[in-house]
Amino acid sequence: MTTTEHNPDRTADVLIVGAGASGAAVAASLSEAGFDVVCIEQGHWQDSFQYPTAKPDWELRSMSSWSINPNKRRLPEDYPVNVEDSAVDPVMFNGVGGSTIMWVAHTPRLHPSDFRVKSQDGVAEDWPISYEDLEPWYDLNDHVMGCAGISGDPANPPRSERPMPPIPIGKDGEMIAGAFDRLGWHWWPSDSYINSTRYGEGRDSCNFCGHNMMGCFQRAKASTDLTYWPRAIDQGAELVTGARVREITTDSSGRATGVNYLDTEGNDIYRSARAVVMAANGVGTPRLMLMSDSDRHPNGLSNSSGMLGKNLMFHMFGGSSGVFPDHEDPWVGPVANILLSQEFYETDPDRGFLRGYTFQMGRGLGPGAIARSVGGHRAPWGKDHHEVLERRFRNTISLGAIGDDLPEEHNTVTLDKSLTDSSGLPAPKISYKVSENSRALLDHAIAQGRTVLEEAGATEILINPQSRETGWHLLGTARMGNDPERSVVDKHGQSHDVDNLFIVDGSVFVTGGGVNPTPTIQAIALRTADYIINERQDLKA
Amino acid sequence: MTINHTTDLLTAVLDRALPPVGNLPGAGGMGLSEEVIKRCAADFRFSDALDAVVEALPSPGDFAALDDDGRDEALRAVESSNPDAFGLWLDVVYTVYYMQPDVHKRLNWHGRSPQPDGNTMPPWDESILGVIRQREPFWRKT
Repeated sequence: MTTTEHNPDRTADVLIVGAGASGAAVAASLSEAGFDVVCIEQGHWQDSFQYPTAKPDWELRSMSSWSINPNKRRLPEDYPVNVEDSAVDPVMFNGVGGSTIMWVAHTPRLHPSDFRVKSQDGVAEDWPISYEDLEPWYDLNDHVMGCAGISGDPANPPRSERPMPPIPIGKDGEMIAGAFDRLGWHWWPSDSYINSTRYGEGRDSCNFCGHNMMGCFQRAKASTDLTYWPRAIDQGAELVTGARVREITTDSSGRATGVNYLDTEGNDIYRSARAVVMAANGVGTPRLMLMSDSDRHPNGLSNSSGMLGKNLMFHMFGGSSGVFPDHEDPWVGPVANILLSQEFYETDPDRGFLRGYTFQMGRGLGPGAIARSVGGHRAPWGKDHHEVLERRFRNTISLGAIGDDLPEEHNTVTLDKSLTDSSGLPAPKISYKVSENSRALLDHAIAQGRTVLEEAGATEILINPQSRETGWHLLGTARMGNDPERSVVDKHGQSHDVDNLFIVDGSVFVTGGGVNPTPTIQAIALRTADYIINERQDLKA
Repeated sequence: MTINHTTDLLTAVLDRALPPVGNLPGAGGMGLSEEVIKRCAADFRFSDALDAVVEALPSPGDFAALDDDGRDEALRAVESSNPDAFGLWLDVVYTVYYMQPDVHKRLNWHGRSPQPDGNTMPPWDESILGVIRQREPFWRKT
């Protein structure tokens, strides 16, 4: 293969791989601080007015070209993932904005205890940073992305005011909240990166369309193509789309020198940089670093510890769905940004498992989706179909549990020996087993969820022991730590092995916590950017 | 396999999968077999599933000769022998069915796609926090 250098006269200060949640945040911070930034993204810009939720066949598209699962979507910019040995399918989106295009934008924070699991519960590892270390960047991110929420949650430390009031929880939310109140259990309105009022450039308030996982037509849901990227580009950052990085290049000393990528025509192009920042998610980042092996890095780039690709965490997801025949608030409002409960978030040894989980209320979807699955239960075909569908459609509320998924070295991302992407590059292979702790945690969540739904008046409850297609949160495969023999990067996201290589996506998580991780991922990315700005001026031309 | 072969068979099969209800004919009687075939052709996972189901069913003539119980038994046999393909095929059938305006009307549902009209956001009512605001902080200190 012949490689062409993009511009031999230009060496960027920082080259970022991936334009999603974390890459965009780093690009904006560094470019605003005067760094010469280039980002390489294998996907493309999205046109919000072309999102499928405005099309009559939107439910069918959610099964194919707009599936959350890259193995079903199979766009040219996607890469296949071998999941034969995995209990969970990873889900993601490749494009400017990354998975923030398809997320529900539910944005709780980790708890202080999540950073001290080893100290407090005797398992896994402690993070090299604390909640307090990260708090300023959580706050900054809330303002750039636009957080709707309210202070005073007794399950979390006090925090600064959100820039917008909460998304109203609706009559269905009030019904579930009332059940939590009667049980004496915690609940709180969800923090969301969804506009409850107009906020941000050209972004309207939510119009309660009811289905926000296929892009937001209204631009009310924050995605980084709408938030961080315009700022970064205004400051001179260059974003190259349709460009698939195949290798992080290194010099004879082992330091990163840039990347080789393939454009949409198959041209092999070299871009040089003084530093490389990986922001390609917890599967894509270890994949590319394993592909970037060399004489100086024989087991993959920055893998002297052997930890690269290990300790994959997904967040186990299961729960209960209740049918409420008298419910009169049909399918209105965000699908999962309603309320949460962290009654069972912290460890209680009497429960038979360590750590805990967050309940998230979920709303029903369109009739096609309800027919296909309520909590993993497909409506029967034949004579009973219509009665079952009518009972469930517009009357279904779920309580999903996101459980803390502790790191285990046998849960891995490796390179597949035969499966390749559309460019002929090795696909990642996921090996992932549900641990006994996770199983016990989910069983507890299902039992407690049933209690809440019954208290709220459900006449039928459907149990989902564990969903397969819920690997939204790709964590832990290049974790941070103080010990170079047990971690891949330090507390600033800087590689232990390569001092001009940084990782800012979910790969660096040490433990997973029991909440959606994106605000934490972005806070970590912003913190790393500030470290580069303040401590690594040597990377600036 | 010819289109007519598949269409004829599917018409009969769809009437068993989604039988008549109220004033609506079954999904086959609504003429959805061609729509199902067209939608399956757009995604090879769907078309593979459709092919697997059709291959495993009796011929159109044999299927037509069965009574209702026999037709259901034939469908159950495919569902049992190849649950993944049958399930995916059924998901496509369900989704196509619930795209139909006549079905929306029977469900007394507007049938609009979520956007661009959306719905009206209700006002935020802080009084709903009355009970939970009385609880003392209980997050675990480090």
